[in-house]
Amino acid sequence: MGFFNHQNLMKIHYQKKRNSDKKKNKVSMKSVGDDIIPAVEESDSSEDEVAPRNTIGNAPLNFYTDEEHIGYDISGKKIKKQARKDMLEAFLARSDYPWNTIYDEYNDEEVEIPKEWRKLIRRYLKGKTPHADVDPYPEYVDWVKHDAKHPLSNAPDPKRRFIPSKSEHKEVLRLVTGIRKGHIKFEPPKEEKRVYDLWGEDSSSTDKARHGLRYIPPPKMKLPGHEESYNPSLEYIPTQEEIDSYELMYEEDRPKFIPRRYDSLRKVPAYDKYLLESFDRCLDLVLRPRVGKKRINIDPESLKPKLPSHNDAVTTISVHVSGQWLASGSKDGTVRIWEVETGRCIKMWDVGEAVSCVAWNPVPECLILAISAGQDVLVLNTGLGSAEEQQRVSELLNIGAPSETDNADKSTSIMSWLQHDKHEGIWLKHIKTVTSVVWHRKGDYFSIVMPNGDSRAVLVHQLSKKFTQRIPFKLHGHPVSSVFHPSRRILFIATKKCVRVYDLSKGKLIKKLEPGVREISSIAIHPAGDNIIVGSREGKVCWFDMDLSSQPFKKLRCHPKDITNVAFHRSYPLFAASSEDGTAYVLHGMVYSDLNKNPLIVPLEILRGHTTTDGRGVIDCTFHPRQPWLFTAGSDSVIKLYCH
Amino acid sequence: MEAMVPEEEVETRRVQVRFTTKLKAPLKAPTTSIAIPSNLTRLGLSSVVNNLLKAGKSDWEPQPFDFLIDGELVRMSLEQFLLAKGISAERVLEIEYIKAVAPRKHEEPSLHDDWVSAVSGSNPGFVLTGCYDGFGRVWKGRSCTHILEGHGDAITSISTINKKGAESTHVATASKDRTVRLWKFDAEEPMNKVRAFKILRGHSSSVQSVAPQPSGEMVCSGSWDSTINLWRTNESDTDGDLVSVKKRKVNSQAEESQLEGEAVSSLVGHTQCVSSVVWPEERTIYSASWDHSIKSWDVETGRDVLSLFCGKALNGLDVGGDSSALIAAGGSDPVLRIWDPRKSGSSAPVFQFASHSSWITACKWHDSSRQHLLSSSYDGKVMLWDLRTAWPLSVIESHKDKVLCADWWRGDSVVSGGADSNLCISSEVSIL
Repeated sequence: MGFFNHQNLMKIHYQKKRNSDKKKNKVSMKSVGDDIIPAVEESDSSEDEVAPRNTIGNAPLNFYTDEEHIGYDISGKKIKKQARKDMLEAFLARSDYPWNTIYDEYNDEEVEIPKEWRKLIRRYLKGKTPHADVDPYPEYVDWVKHDAKHPLSNAPDPKRRFIPSKSEHKEVLRLVTGIRKGHIKFEPPKEEKRVYDLWGEDSSSTDKARHGLRYIPPPKMKLPGHEESYNPSLEYIPTQEEIDSYELMYEEDRPKFIPRRYDSLRKVPAYDKYLLESFDRCLDLVLRPRVGKKRINIDPESLKPKLPSHNDAVTTISVHVSGQWLASGSKDGTVRIWEVETGRCIKMWDVGEAVSCVAWNPVPECLILAISAGQDVLVLNTGLGSAEEQQRVSELLNIGAPSETDNADKSTSIMSWLQHDKHEGIWLKHIKTVTSVVWHRKGDYFSIVMPNGDSRAVLVHQLSKKFTQRIPFKLHGHPVSSVFHPSRRILFIATKKCVRVYDLSKGKLIKKLEPGVREISSIAIHPAGDNIIVGSREGKVCWFDMDLSSQPFKKLRCHPKDITNVAFHRSYPLFAASSEDGTAYVLHGMVYSDLNKNPLIVPLEILRGHTTTDGRGVIDCTFHPRQPWLFTAGSDSVIKLYCH
Repeated sequence: MEAMVPEEEVETRRVQVRFTTKLKAPLKAPTTSIAIPSNLTRLGLSSVVNNLLKAGKSDWEPQPFDFLIDGELVRMSLEQFLLAKGISAERVLEIEYIKAVAPRKHEEPSLHDDWVSAVSGSNPGFVLTGCYDGFGRVWKGRSCTHILEGHGDAITSISTINKKGAESTHVATASKDRTVRLWKFDAEEPMNKVRAFKILRGHSSSVQSVAPQPSGEMVCSGSWDSTINLWRTNESDTDGDLVSVKKRKVNSQAEESQLEGEAVSSLVGHTQCVSSVVWPEERTIYSASWDHSIKSWDVETGRDVLSLFCGKALNGLDVGGDSSALIAAGGSDPVLRIWDPRKSGSSAPVFQFASHSSWITACKWHDSSRQHLLSSSYDGKVMLWDLRTAWPLSVIESHKDKVLCADWWRGDSVVSGGADSNLCISSEVSIL
């Protein structure tokens, strides 16, 4: 009885719980006398679970209400119900000693509640804390010292924390001006005494670095792996096919070691190259020069016979108005005419110098090609037309002796008209390099541009009269290209900075267009004549509307590199720009006849396919006059045709 | 049947099929229905049929077949085909087999001096070729028997004129020298060089294509000057001799028997190069042009009856197929398109075959078959097509460069000429 602890209480609770939860409510409490103590003592005797006296398990107790017994003990004998106390006795016991005993219905016995528990119950009933030791109202301890000052503040950061300090700035300024003016002088870095470290390591990095050499350790030899084993696993053994393929390799490329299997170390043969290698080392000792391997590297493509194609970058292309032929000029000094339909090279001329520009005469019956190469301009009869047309062309290109003398007084210094001796055509010799040849739409006049020709940089030649005139205007800057207006007597001359528009009939400057780019490279005019595109060396295309201002209507930055040429399509609303980066852009440029409507410009496609060689990509681009096709000439000596 | 099915395929689904054919006796398999695995492809089906035929005849030599289910060629495994077409696999499937259309023999190419730009196989006795060196040639087997000499520039088109009652062969050629020339030779005669008996001048730019009238009375030619000219082919001087007299004075010492002819009429309507003309009926001319259109002309009135717009510049055109009314054309893109002009309301092509990888240069319908046509392309391939499948029946890759022209010959061979200067003949294409 001495120690009633919580464990006992739990045990009783446990026994109660054995009955289902519903039953729990039915447990009636009874306070009885001291007569049932032994049962409690029994449960108290050990820490282990004490089996209940009754063995009916979870069977409902009301099964036994009408029976004589309450259940069965562990040996299977019936447990008789105990005689009931009469009501009066029970009441007295309850009133005298309330909460002394509790009735266990399951085992049909009175269980005495220990004294401590009774105390607890009584405290519960009074609504007090169960333990008497607990003080519900302890003294309040004030831990915070209210007289001490609190270190933190909620005040926002002052503005001066966010703005640079003026005083510091002043100080820095003072120091900077001082240093600049030389008031403040720094102490020169002290020169340390150079002492040769006698005992230092031989390959000390500081010493070597000073001489610009750095010690590079030789690569470490690969440690032997599994394949070097005398009995490697099967995956390391090369198959017969692989061994055969080694035989096909060059001696130097063959693997030095071919793994082989020996089932015991005793069977491994001696190193077969022992003698050879020791001999080689002896040769190394006498400083025999090592022979570099000589392998003939022949590109199999180079052995093929040459097809008729350009051998160097194609610099310029031009399509005949009919769309039947394409003329191209190349750096290798040849001009070729190709059939667009089949890609066949029909004609070829060797002009001896890198061709800078070719241009077909825009009159369909006049199959004349103008070529500029170096300082020469050739106007050649292509010989493609019918007999009558060829007759007419050769008459046109025939220079009589008098016409030469006529011009002699005027323009011998800049150029002269000669009959070409090798090819059928006219040979115009200029004093400076000609970069561009452009025909007038009627096919009689053509203008040439000599960037270094100073006052005679732009010339207009008349084919029918064999007459040359220079543009009577002052050009400011080097001209790059020129273009005739498609319907009016207007000439556009693009210099490096701006485009000048001259009226040839009135003889005056009409307009000056300022694209605002670093350097203009090319210019093209819309077939209606009111819009101009200008390509620049920085990859920008500027669209000018002549009716609007002299500033570009739109600037398109499309290429990362120089634009080499820009072109308009004659009938489709398309224009294109080719660039050194090896691509060509095709853009939709719709010009409306309604003057109030601005042109619509939509980028359509990036055409790739050319490889860049020597930093040059696509050098020229031209549209087919009637089909939505773009020809591009590349520095890879290929002309490509892109079809819609 | 069990014996030829591999062990592992026994598990797969089977379909009941019956093989039928229109082929003649030795190729006729028994028409009893049999069960075959559904994953068989064309090759498997072919071996089944070959085995069936071998059962009937022990010395049977296997040959490839093509298979038609409901009028469509099988180009995938049977199972996929049935699924794709939604055909029930429960009932007995009727599979018609035909001989596979593929050349079984490639003859040694005949080398020319320059690119072969025109070829014609309309006469079963020989093959006509036109070359960029300006000569037309007549090939019998591998030997060149006749050379047509006279053009000043590359020949672009060549065709035979079928004249009734004429003993000798008549040929028309078009050339880049702006003339059309008519030639006459006896194919049997071992004569070597032929000169044109009539020179037709009138085009102002290179002539791209020439086609004879079926009766042989006239020829038409399409040119870069975007016109189509009609010419008479008669040998008498009754018309146009006024013109020829004047010219004859100039080159009288060269050839006195050469006639000159002027165009009877000119069909104007195209805006760009007329790249191809055909004259399948007495009254109708079809033409294809670089202005993206195909036109059909009434010869009597000289008006265009029909215009089809394609969107691409066209290079080759032919009319044939079902009741000789389908128009096949190819041009500056890799798609061979076929139109049915009888279909009213839409000008969209009824078939589009896009297996080439470059421009198409020529397309030709087979003379007797309604489904078969060929196309040649700059990608160096000649493809044989069947309207019943979207895949090419076979691809002939005998050229090493662009193929510029191709034609059927004798009904079972394909002749083609290309930029590798070769005339290639692929024979034993078993159509029908």
